[in-house]
Amino acid sequence: MSVTRRDFLIGSVALAAGTAVTAPFLLPKYHYDQRPKRSRVAVLHAEQYSQKLDHHLSAGLRLFPIDVTGRTVVLKPNLVDYIPGDAINTHPLLVLAAAESFRRLGAKSVLVAEGPGHQRDTQLVLSQSGYEQCLRDEKIRFIDLNRDELIRTPLRAGYTGMKDLWLPRTVLEADFLVSMPKIKAHHWSGVTLSMKNMFGVVPGARYGWPKNILHWKGIQESILDLCASVPIHFVIADGIVAMEGNGPLNGTPRTLGKLVLADDPVAADATCARLMGFHPERVSHIREGSRFLGNTSPTLIDQVGETVASPTIPFGVVPEFRYLQPL
Amino acid sequence: MRTVTTDAIALSNVLAELALRQLPCGGWAALASSSQPAIEPTCYAALALGSMPLGDIERAQDFLLRTQNPNGSWPVVPGDDQEGGWVTSLAVMALRDLVPAIPARLQGLHWLLNCSGKESNWFWKWKFRTADRHVRFDPDKYGWPWFPDTVSWVVPTSFAILALNQVPCSCGGLERIPVRIDCGIQMLFDRACPGGGWNAGNGVVYGCPMGPHVDDTAIALLALSDQGQHPVVQGAMHYLEGVAPTLTAPWSLAWSILALAAHRRPIASLHDSLSALSDLSSTEDTGTLAMVCLALDYSRALSAFGVIV
Repeated sequence: MSVTRRDFLIGSVALAAGTAVTAPFLLPKYHYDQRPKRSRVAVLHAEQYSQKLDHHLSAGLRLFPIDVTGRTVVLKPNLVDYIPGDAINTHPLLVLAAAESFRRLGAKSVLVAEGPGHQRDTQLVLSQSGYEQCLRDEKIRFIDLNRDELIRTPLRAGYTGMKDLWLPRTVLEADFLVSMPKIKAHHWSGVTLSMKNMFGVVPGARYGWPKNILHWKGIQESILDLCASVPIHFVIADGIVAMEGNGPLNGTPRTLGKLVLADDPVAADATCARLMGFHPERVSHIREGSRFLGNTSPTLIDQVGETVASPTIPFGVVPEFRYLQPL
Repeated sequence: MRTVTTDAIALSNVLAELALRQLPCGGWAALASSSQPAIEPTCYAALALGSMPLGDIERAQDFLLRTQNPNGSWPVVPGDDQEGGWVTSLAVMALRDLVPAIPARLQGLHWLLNCSGKESNWFWKWKFRTADRHVRFDPDKYGWPWFPDTVSWVVPTSFAILALNQVPCSCGGLERIPVRIDCGIQMLFDRACPGGGWNAGNGVVYGCPMGPHVDDTAIALLALSDQGQHPVVQGAMHYLEGVAPTLTAPWSLAWSILALAAHRRPIASLHDSLSALSDLSSTEDTGTLAMVCLALDYSRALSAFGVIV
């Protein structure tokens, strides 16, 4: 069979067009591989919220080679809204315990920063959820990330297609950012853990309440772009009383009795997912995050503290996320 | 309604603090510790200072005129993308009394008329009717988004209604104002929480009724000040009257005072509570500080928002 010049040209054009169409789907959407060689996760047993959390957490932090001497530590809890009796927010006593622990470790300053995703009146959420009094008593400064100074920040991954986001100066300039999620099932993303907790850094004053652009661009994709662009240095996840079902607001409180500490958010979230009775690799942002942000494989995670045991009955989820549970 | 005596000392203290926070560029930053001017706090501050012999209102107005986008909208902060956002309604209201700003306001109003929630498009309407039904709402009833290319929400819709209601006539390319206002009002009714009041705009999610927020409810009620007989408005009033006396957060308390005053409800005790809050002048959030000024001088504030009582 002879190939004419015309056939060759048509073939070349077709090949170029095919490459142009398929390449975006085949090329990685992250720009940097940020995975540590090994990750460390500690699961601590904690039965209740009390002043004893301080010593408990300090002991847990000693399991990690953390050096925050002379550095600014920003604690980013999950503070969404307040509904009496619900386990929506990271408990303020855990945040206080973390602040005390990092101060003892030599931090230059410890700030608490959050941009509630549903409530525009941040002071009202702080007051109703018990944060205001705690922070005032312990002289801990709070920064409202919904209204902090904005810096246009290029995104270091391309899952959403967005080139940049306006993000708060406090978070971008933090020496040591600690994501402190509440362990919850979530009706849009399956779970909300340390990575999803970063939605709170997206400023409401710019993007609205709730942070609707992230929903339109894809929740799982937005989580990945955010976590690639705003590195989480440490995780302290509140699973003492967690939430199952229709989270993040209207789920059911579920006692888990655990704190999860980690130096890798992907490893932390994979561990939390296992504690909830889910397959971590079925949560798409955890699975994709394991390609460039952190580790999920137990062979790459140094597990300290308690062993990770899945519950007899997995956490409840809305029907769309039943696939997270074991078959 | 019992007449409220303005606590002159409380008001003059917060006004003085507000004037002190004005930046050299003429605008205000969102937080006291910040030097980045932002449109939202600047608009509240300009409305609060109004004709007061404090601060430099002309410099504030110049700042707003300088920061308008070429398409007539306003950015959230100077230097932001030029597509515009929800603060356009606030800027249009803050420039209300400035004659040289009429062309800029007209551009802003045209931008508002051309901006609508994404659900106004047939494709998204169809998607919300068929495939995406976890949040209960009627996509035929749309208002305004926080910024273009997203769906309608309660607060931007309420501010847009307030801004458009200030236009004295629907002519010169503004003929669609009554239709857009009516559609926005229907959207607010549709998005109310089943138990009364509003949150950001999700009344029922996954079949679960969601709770209202004080400020969202108050801002919507301000926009619906001429709809007092509607059952949704009455339900929201009932919620707000119940919760407002328990509030100690100045932002929500201030908006509650304005909303209840707009609906001719008693506000004397709320006004006293707001005046009596300690450390008002040290409030970190400058938008809150300006709202406190507006609530303590609520008659003038209602006029600034174009609400006739």
